[in-house]
Amino acid sequence: MSKGYTLNELLVITCAKEINDYENVILGVGLPTAAGALAKALYAPHASLMMESGIIDFEPLVSLNHIADAHSCRGFSCATDLFSAFTMTYRGFVDVCFLGVGQIDKYGNLNTTCIGDYYNPTLRLPGSGGAADFISYAGHTVLTMLGGEFVEKLDYLTSPGHLTGGNSRNDSGLFPQDSGPSMLLTTKGVFRFDAETKELYLAQIHPGITVDDVRNDVPWDLKVSPELSETERPTDREIDFVRQFAPTISMGREVATELTIDSVVKRAQQRGKM
Amino acid sequence: MANNNNENKVMSAREAISRFVVDGEELIIGNYTVGTCCEFVYEICRQEKKGFTLYSQSGILDVDVLVNAGCVDRLVSTYVLRSGGKKGGGAVQRAMQAGTLEWEDYTNFNYNARLVAGMHGFSFMQVFEGVMATDLFTKRGFMGEDKYRVITCPYTGKKVLTVPAVNPDTCIIHVQRADRYGNAQYWGSMGSVAAAALCSKKIIVSCEEIVEHDVIQASPHFTIIPAYRVNAVVEVPWGAHPTEVLGYYNMDRFFYGMFMQENATADGAKAWMDEWVYGCEDREAYLDHYANKFGLGMLDNIRAKAFYSTPANYGSAFTSAWDENGKERAMGITLKEMEKTMKERGMLYE
Repeated sequence: MSKGYTLNELLVITCAKEINDYENVILGVGLPTAAGALAKALYAPHASLMMESGIIDFEPLVSLNHIADAHSCRGFSCATDLFSAFTMTYRGFVDVCFLGVGQIDKYGNLNTTCIGDYYNPTLRLPGSGGAADFISYAGHTVLTMLGGEFVEKLDYLTSPGHLTGGNSRNDSGLFPQDSGPSMLLTTKGVFRFDAETKELYLAQIHPGITVDDVRNDVPWDLKVSPELSETERPTDREIDFVRQFAPTISMGREVATELTIDSVVKRAQQRGKM
Repeated sequence: MANNNNENKVMSAREAISRFVVDGEELIIGNYTVGTCCEFVYEICRQEKKGFTLYSQSGILDVDVLVNAGCVDRLVSTYVLRSGGKKGGGAVQRAMQAGTLEWEDYTNFNYNARLVAGMHGFSFMQVFEGVMATDLFTKRGFMGEDKYRVITCPYTGKKVLTVPAVNPDTCIIHVQRADRYGNAQYWGSMGSVAAAALCSKKIIVSCEEIVEHDVIQASPHFTIIPAYRVNAVVEVPWGAHPTEVLGYYNMDRFFYGMFMQENATADGAKAWMDEWVYGCEDREAYLDHYANKFGLGMLDNIRAKAFYSTPANYGSAFTSAWDENGKERAMGITLKEMEKTMKERGMLYE
């Protein structure tokens, strides 16, 4: 039995396994950047990691603060601009893209814009950023949802998944054939999309989670794979890598921020500053 | 009309904002996610400028601070980092709920395409058609029909989605270094930084350091804005703090986190603005206050170590048409011999 792991560590490690060697990978903000670093270090040494800020082929040494963080690496191979990072995606040069999710429907359409009415929102979310364009034109897209929710109908369709299911995405003529979301990772399990209907189904559950736990979060009758498996327990090597590389991600943002502020206040107090 | 190419444009942030940023105009943040022009943003708040239509590709602390100060009526953006996590919060959220702020949403590419069209003098730019399947296309804000328009490609006959060009009145931007004339050098995460500056009518630049003109001439590949486009140059060390500048300093995660926490409530945001924006008359006062409160060592901890780019060789085989023996390199004759030949062949008008 390997050593104990945090939920964030399990998520980063599970996410990283979606990257294959030799792929061109666009990393979204947060957990995916740690997953990209892990994949590059352990499973996919020839993958090319890229971000929409125009940082092409970088090897992160410390955890990234955001998708334009050139401080996380010691140089990188090509400094292009945002416009070109998107047109290279449009032209089909990006194999896989990682995006975070606010709301998701059963066909993998996403909302990261608002909760409630768009013109009078209950909660304003960050917005599209690069998400709508990346999920449109990357070869396929891996979704991560930490704080978000499953809904029957999105309050706002920010980023196109498999539209109304079936062959609707291909038939629309707006997207490359067979592109779109391929996997959704949540704090409870891994979901994939049915080859025919394009509906989300539960493919894996994380250790300690039951199918009912997952069903409780989903407002429709969730389909579950007959070959449902349990998410692989991380190895010591994987856990050690994440802990070394991104200790604040292992710890989680909330606790890490709390401890950071404590540490600064203590330091200032010791020097008679506060 | 071009600005002067060799006029000294160095001035203070106070003077630059006072002279070139005008109430009610379209204002664009040049920086994208990193190295934000924080001192310019704070100075706009201190001067109580108002009524902007603000463009920011990806709003971090820039948008929230300007909205907290009541400077912004309309926002054009693709993303604003919220404060306060799932519970919401943040200045943008509060202003939208109070009905004092309208936001036109775009994707990163759509927004950038508007700048690129503007910087090249085109009236619109083609963008990716996938957005037509989303509510970005169907739900329009204050731009109405002009948010997106669909045309038919004259070559393929296909439907093409377009966005209109934008030429904001003023761009405020922070870069690593510039010369006194305004040649502005920036490197690292390129984002939409050059396009945001070059699409604008006026450009005011702050930089970590002003360098001699020959430093610029020896490294023109880093220049993203040529001097003739620039109205003002301001030297502001730590001018992007608490955000980061590659080669100068990292993000101040502690201070940034503190801003995010405070910004999550209206009271917290006001206290933060009073202390760090209105309470410090300029960046020097801000740094003094920071050092007094938290210790200068906090800044030393995030100061960048050097990792220089490999120099690019801008040298050439010679810098004169005449060799060391006074002979022209191609014809193999001296100036005297050349003049003699001109005369002999009747080429000279006497």
